[in-house]
Amino acid sequence: MSELNDAPGMQARREILKRAAWLLGGAISAPAALAVLQGCHQKTEPGVAAAAPKFLTAAELALVAEIAEIMIPKTNTSGARDAGVPAFIDLALDGLYPAEDQARYRAGLVEFETAARASGKPFLEQDEQARADFLHNALAVAVNSDRKPKPFILMTRELTLLGYFSSQVGITENMEYVAVPTAYHGCVPLSQMKKHVYWE
Amino acid sequence: MSGGWAAKELTEKGLKTLVLDRGHMVRHPEYPTALKDPWDLPFGNRITQETRKRKYVWSRTGYPTPANELWFTDDLDNPYVEEEPFDWLRAYHVGGRSMHWARQSYRFSPMDFEGNAREGVGIPWPISYDEIAPWYDKAETFAGISGSVEGLPQLPDGKFLPPHDLNCVEVDFRKTIADKLGRKLIIGRCANLTAPLTHNESPQRGTCQARNMCIRGCPYGAYFSSVSATLPSAERTGNMTLVADKIAYEVIYDNEKGKATGVRVLDAKSGAQTDYFAKVIFLCASSLGTAYLMLNSTSSRFPNGFGNDSGELGHNIMDHNKPGGSSASVDGYLDVAYTGRRPNGFYIPRYRNVGKDKRNYLRGFGYQGRAARAGYGRFNDSALIGAELKQAFQEPGPWNISMTAFGEILPYHENHMRIDRDRKDKHGLPLLVVNAVVRDNELKMQEDMRNDAAEMLEAAGYKDIKVNSDDFHVGNSIHEMGTARMGHDPKKSVLNKYNQVHACKNVYVTDGSFMVSSGCQNPSLTYMAFTARAAHHAVEELRKGNL
Repeated sequence: MSELNDAPGMQARREILKRAAWLLGGAISAPAALAVLQGCHQKTEPGVAAAAPKFLTAAELALVAEIAEIMIPKTNTSGARDAGVPAFIDLALDGLYPAEDQARYRAGLVEFETAARASGKPFLEQDEQARADFLHNALAVAVNSDRKPKPFILMTRELTLLGYFSSQVGITENMEYVAVPTAYHGCVPLSQMKKHVYWE
Repeated sequence: MSGGWAAKELTEKGLKTLVLDRGHMVRHPEYPTALKDPWDLPFGNRITQETRKRKYVWSRTGYPTPANELWFTDDLDNPYVEEEPFDWLRAYHVGGRSMHWARQSYRFSPMDFEGNAREGVGIPWPISYDEIAPWYDKAETFAGISGSVEGLPQLPDGKFLPPHDLNCVEVDFRKTIADKLGRKLIIGRCANLTAPLTHNESPQRGTCQARNMCIRGCPYGAYFSSVSATLPSAERTGNMTLVADKIAYEVIYDNEKGKATGVRVLDAKSGAQTDYFAKVIFLCASSLGTAYLMLNSTSSRFPNGFGNDSGELGHNIMDHNKPGGSSASVDGYLDVAYTGRRPNGFYIPRYRNVGKDKRNYLRGFGYQGRAARAGYGRFNDSALIGAELKQAFQEPGPWNISMTAFGEILPYHENHMRIDRDRKDKHGLPLLVVNAVVRDNELKMQEDMRNDAAEMLEAAGYKDIKVNSDDFHVGNSIHEMGTARMGHDPKKSVLNKYNQVHACKNVYVTDGSFMVSSGCQNPSLTYMAFTARAAHHAVEELRKGNL
């Protein structure tokens, strides 16, 4: 953990974590959740093993990857993991966000895990239904909040959708992707379209 | 935009022409990102923090993405001073802003050319619509402008290629605002080839493939840019020498001859200084760029800047008044959509202060907008997850409609730029200082822009109407103009009616600097027409021995 202490924004991050823990007041303290998320004994997220994550720790990435996969699971089309969403989110957090958003994201991640543990188990050790219920509830609460600034769970959701629909499988399995349409037709019945959604 | 036209016209008329650009070389059809699939672009094609930091002025527009940011000049590297917030959006590369312009192409009308004289605003235009009309014909025909013939006096028709389709919602919106409010909605007139050109001068250009990726550069040459259209024509004459990475910073004036003899340049990479000499010089460096070059060119004859006997050089900066967009959601139409990606939208031509309409401000505005079905972004703030969410991916979202007003800004002497010789950029050149704001007339107009948008969206029965009231910074429409206006009176203007510098006839200025009023139409087509006319004049005058 020591190398992380030098990362920019760590001080602010610790302050935010302290506040998050106080606000939550759960049985598990945020620092405990943080310790687990940063722990060295977590399993590595499959598919991201080759390249070390850029922004998230391996444990944080594992949690984010599972959240993304619950939102967009593998069905008859690819899921978030198939589409490379976890690695996309890690790179996006590193490249697209200013330090304050990054700090808020990290704090929110710990808050999410802390709240999940109120049920007695870490999020990733809960059964599938419990995880889906917990995530759905967290989303519902966030969607009904004022969303400013965007909370962790909605940032994750936005990045999951963006990553999925920036991937070849996400686009081509869910939409009609036409690189060179050749013409625009302004009013076409859905019944005459190859798929109902065209990439644009 | 205008530089390419000057190059084409001058070379085609037989003049050996040197074209200098301060930025890097761009050659058709070499556009590095043009054919990339979405999954080949980093970060989901979203702007990075690094780009936000370096291109901090461009970032205010929301345009830069990994796919197109090569056309957006690094602002940190090219500082200027904003005394009032001013978005100076530079495109330092061959092709300039024509690489990433929105391609909307509208004629100014007799009403626009007559307004200043009629209302006592600024100075009168020294030229009538009838004088420029044939040059609009020429510009439209060569560039290839698509559009519909409408017979509107405030927006003259031109030589059009076939119009794009309006979509199902737009067609009904057109009917509603016509029936209920007497306003017209038309398809945008744009420089995209909806059909083959009507001439064979541009064999490198093909028709529009409905990719709507124009902003990356079009390998099909299907939208007009200097790189795809005018510069290849100039090249084919064998009369053009195009040199990139040369920053012209001074016009060389010869007191004895009473003429400009050339320009002084710095190599953008090495800093080496070179003088280039010519019989006739066209300045096409964009309105602020050209005025900067002229203000920076002082001599015993022109102590206040080249051609600046009137004191108007650098003044009267205009742009288009654009206080924020409006949007609404549209019920119904769920069984229809569209295919292909239209690089165009609808246009609601100016109706304020037209005919019998009289407002508490002068001039007017037009709206540009589009209706579309919502994409996956509609799931960003939703709690839907799992198989249900994936099922929802299979259907298009509800329809929405959005539109933005572009309005006229009056010429104010106080809206100006100048040079600060105490502050220098990395080339050792003095910094440009700009101070321009919208004033009472524009603020009153903004009220109408917002209210009228809401009125039209309500008239159509649309829901969730949102009207933004963003602060508008001059420059943000990227239509800045007016810094070296033309006029009959040399005491009040910098250029004559042929875009010649009053006080030095072998220098022409044909970018937006010459504009006397801004209209509310996108101005590039007007720059093209005036440039072609000025080039024709220059060659005639040269042959007569007058330059």
